[in-house]
Amino acid sequence: MQQYLLSLLIFIPLIAAIVVLFVPSVFQRSFRMITLSASILQAIIFTIILSSSSADASFIIKEQTTWFSIDIGSWGILKAEYFVLLDGLNVSLVALSIGVMLIATIASWKETKNQKGYYALLLILNTAIVGSFTALDFLLFYLFFEFMLLPMFFLIGIWGGPRREYASIKFFLYTLLGSIFILIALIALYISVHDPSAVPGKLVHSFNLLTMADPKNYISNSILDPNNLWMVGPLSARTWIFLLIFFGFAIKLPMVPVHTWLPDAHVEASTPISVILAALLLKIGGYGILRIAYPILPDAAVELSWIVATFGVISIIYGALNALASKDLKRLIAYSSVSHMGFVILGISSVTSEGVTGAIYQMFSHGIISAMLFLIAGVLYDRTHDRIINNYSGLASRMPAYFVMVLVAFFASLGLPGFSGFIAEIMVFLGAFRSASANGLIHESFAIIATSGLVLGAAYYLWTIQRMFFGPFDLKGIASKSELYDLTPREYILLLPLAFSALAFGIFPQLILNWINPFAQQFIEAVLSKGASLTSNL
Amino acid sequence: MNLQEALHIIEKSLSYLYPELILTGGILVLITISLFKRISSIVFSVVSISICLATISLLVEEGLLRASLFSGIIVKESFSTYLKILANIGSLVTCVMTLSSNNQRMKSAEFYALLLTIVLGGHFLVMSNNLLMVFISMEIISISSYVLAGHANTKEASEGSLKYFLFGSVASAIMLYGFSLLYGVTGTLDFATEGFVKGITEYNSPILLIAGFMALAGFLFKVGAAPMHPWAPDVYQGASVPVVAFLSVVPKLAGIGILIKFILVISAYGQSKYDWQAIISVVAILTLTVGNFSALAQRNLKRMMAYSSIAQTGFLLVGIAAYLPEGIQFMLFYATVYVAMNFIVFISLQFFEQRNIWNTEHFAGTGRLLLWPSISMLIGLIALTGLPPTAGFTGKLFIFSSLWEAYHLSEKNILLWLFVFGLLNTVVSLFYYLKIPYYAFLKEGQSVEKGNFNLWENLLSLILVLVVLGLFFAPGLLMCWINSVNFVL
Repeated sequence: MQQYLLSLLIFIPLIAAIVVLFVPSVFQRSFRMITLSASILQAIIFTIILSSSSADASFIIKEQTTWFSIDIGSWGILKAEYFVLLDGLNVSLVALSIGVMLIATIASWKETKNQKGYYALLLILNTAIVGSFTALDFLLFYLFFEFMLLPMFFLIGIWGGPRREYASIKFFLYTLLGSIFILIALIALYISVHDPSAVPGKLVHSFNLLTMADPKNYISNSILDPNNLWMVGPLSARTWIFLLIFFGFAIKLPMVPVHTWLPDAHVEASTPISVILAALLLKIGGYGILRIAYPILPDAAVELSWIVATFGVISIIYGALNALASKDLKRLIAYSSVSHMGFVILGISSVTSEGVTGAIYQMFSHGIISAMLFLIAGVLYDRTHDRIINNYSGLASRMPAYFVMVLVAFFASLGLPGFSGFIAEIMVFLGAFRSASANGLIHESFAIIATSGLVLGAAYYLWTIQRMFFGPFDLKGIASKSELYDLTPREYILLLPLAFSALAFGIFPQLILNWINPFAQQFIEAVLSKGASLTSNL
Repeated sequence: MNLQEALHIIEKSLSYLYPELILTGGILVLITISLFKRISSIVFSVVSISICLATISLLVEEGLLRASLFSGIIVKESFSTYLKILANIGSLVTCVMTLSSNNQRMKSAEFYALLLTIVLGGHFLVMSNNLLMVFISMEIISISSYVLAGHANTKEASEGSLKYFLFGSVASAIMLYGFSLLYGVTGTLDFATEGFVKGITEYNSPILLIAGFMALAGFLFKVGAAPMHPWAPDVYQGASVPVVAFLSVVPKLAGIGILIKFILVISAYGQSKYDWQAIISVVAILTLTVGNFSALAQRNLKRMMAYSSIAQTGFLLVGIAAYLPEGIQFMLFYATVYVAMNFIVFISLQFFEQRNIWNTEHFAGTGRLLLWPSISMLIGLIALTGLPPTAGFTGKLFIFSSLWEAYHLSEKNILLWLFVFGLLNTVVSLFYYLKIPYYAFLKEGQSVEKGNFNLWENLLSLILVLVVLGLFFAPGLLMCWINSVNFVL
């Protein structure tokens, strides 16, 4: 039982989805209960996993068996594994996804349209998300990664706002483009590596990400052999593959200039779906860069770090400027996500322990805060069906409890000390500053320019508070004053835990830093040493 | 060779041709029946029994390595046997599809006789090792297809059939001219012989290139590859759904089977000074791009599926362009999956067409009322796009893996272009494949009556969906078998 806990964690929602599909629609009310219990069960299993310690320090729990192994004659054996693992990188993200899915389920409590389909898709999405966070076999990862697209497409497209069809198609096409980039890399990588643990004399092509991360496992003179670079045009094949993986995940992240699907998807998606999109799906982009792009192609990563950092800084500034110009509250939050995910890229590109820790912490913290922000936007939208910032003023007097929650969320998001966002951003800045002296990858000026993102962040949040909450109570547009009432108990249940977590992880960062720190240390050592040794071979 | 010996060879060769003899017998019985009685249940059982018997006799002799029949005009080996089994399965599924058709003409004995004739032609085509035999089997397929395309007897069907016929005759004529030039150059029609290859390597003139192109034109016409594809949309639009499903699978696979052989010998196993690998790569890029981009603009579903099948041909050509034994094996895997996913879509398509839903816009709102057909369609389309967890993804993964390996071995940039173009085309294809689920599930639409597949359709789609999903999770099941397939000329 013990060794199957992780699989159970991944597949419980899928089983629940099948149950939902077979329960007759007459028992509509049971669907949300099934979904909720699946999430709670996940949380319990996760706690059990964490409480049992593993002998090996490099991971918490893992499962590894052969998925399929096909003998292709002269060409060797194709081997894919069912390999899932929980370690310092993904433990916080898995915790986040369990929590957010729980909250999203409660947030969809009042969903009435075709509940069977809705909850089944939500549960499938849950499996896909947890699966892609834990899979360490590239093919398995790709399966889960792609499997998120279809449920999300329908969740936005059926249960979304007025322009939902356009937004869902745009989301699907953008992300599929990213997945195709990753697929190209997947094919190139698995053909170039062999599994060292195989029987001698047998050539086994493996999809295992750890196998791919070891430069010794590359078949000599293969296209991606790090010791004998294969040039395609001006760049080496390894650099191309790095760029493909990086941009593939950057679309998901999303990074400027491939971010344009995000505001549309967010504005049109319903509140719980926005929450999942912002808090979890975006994280898979950052996670993929950390798990796949950097460890497997460290030489290219080190070589291109300043380009990566440039994109990070552009995302920070451009996202913040767009947020400043947004008239729609949800669009503002969506652009603030772009800006905040820029910090993740900047942190990773520095390849310092502070930077990488900060990047992972930022993903975790943004997961909490963005979930809260979208719920807040949802609270207003539920009441008035209007999200235009300028149509509101003086809400503070009418909805005082709501105002407090907004203050917490906004200040947490703009990086006020005491909230989790502050810890994450300060670490990213430290890393970006120290990179020049520690490993010489990126210049200090990147950090300096990026700090202006904080100023802009403060600007758009404070300006929004001033416009919407201060002054005399007044409404323009379609909303009427009688529709506005303060938070309901269900909304308290949603917002309070998030507010509390944002505060708790801001004051006691070591709660998860204990997981992240060792991983970050390992990560930078691996990337820098491999990157340096491979580059010096040339 | 005296008469005695010749008769002996014929007698011996015939003993290897049980599947084809069974099919021929089936055709004769069907024609005889059509003269007297027209009971559709008898007709149907004759067809299905003869196809099943032919398939069983194919399976029995599956272990056979290589047999050269009729002094080398026909060669039996496991590669052609595999394609023949696929063709038989395709025709069997088509027959079951006609059961649900509400067009009585689809259940007549002539219809099934034509169907069996095409299968018979396909059998001979993939076995041919002689240019003349190639031409004859190709004509057997083509002439029956022209009639089949017009069998619905509507104005559109006749138009499609006539276009098919005109286009096909010209293609055949060009191909025949190419064959005659090749005969002139090499002095033999048996293209697997050393004499043929020697002739090709030693003859130094662009005539060879021209002859090769002319012959290629005929093959590309048959598989529906660019630039010989323009017949497809009109034929598909006019013909009835089971016919379209059949035409998009059986003649195509037979054509692919012979194309592989032809490309290998025309390039003299890589010895030729003309780079046929590059030529076939360009054809594949062209086919993928033309198929996918033309499909984008289509609103009629059958036309869209016509372009989709052109694009799918492009993926099969990728397997040929890799020029590796693994490439051919992976191509067979993809071909098998293609048969399954294509039929899933067409079974649903037939269902929808009977309810007057044949335009993308008509699908609005069908997702809720016609739930199972829509879901089955969705799975088929997702598989055609090549997304996990369907075997369509596995097939693409395999085919492009062999292409990457080919690029590694040959270092030809054109293969890299094909690799990148082919995979990026998937994104384009998603755009039109997704149109149907988009209308079915996302749009609110006019009211259609609630409905579901009948028993046969249900059973058939369930099996095919299970195949498509099962081969994703356990591709080894099929690859084991394909591994034993030997490609020899």
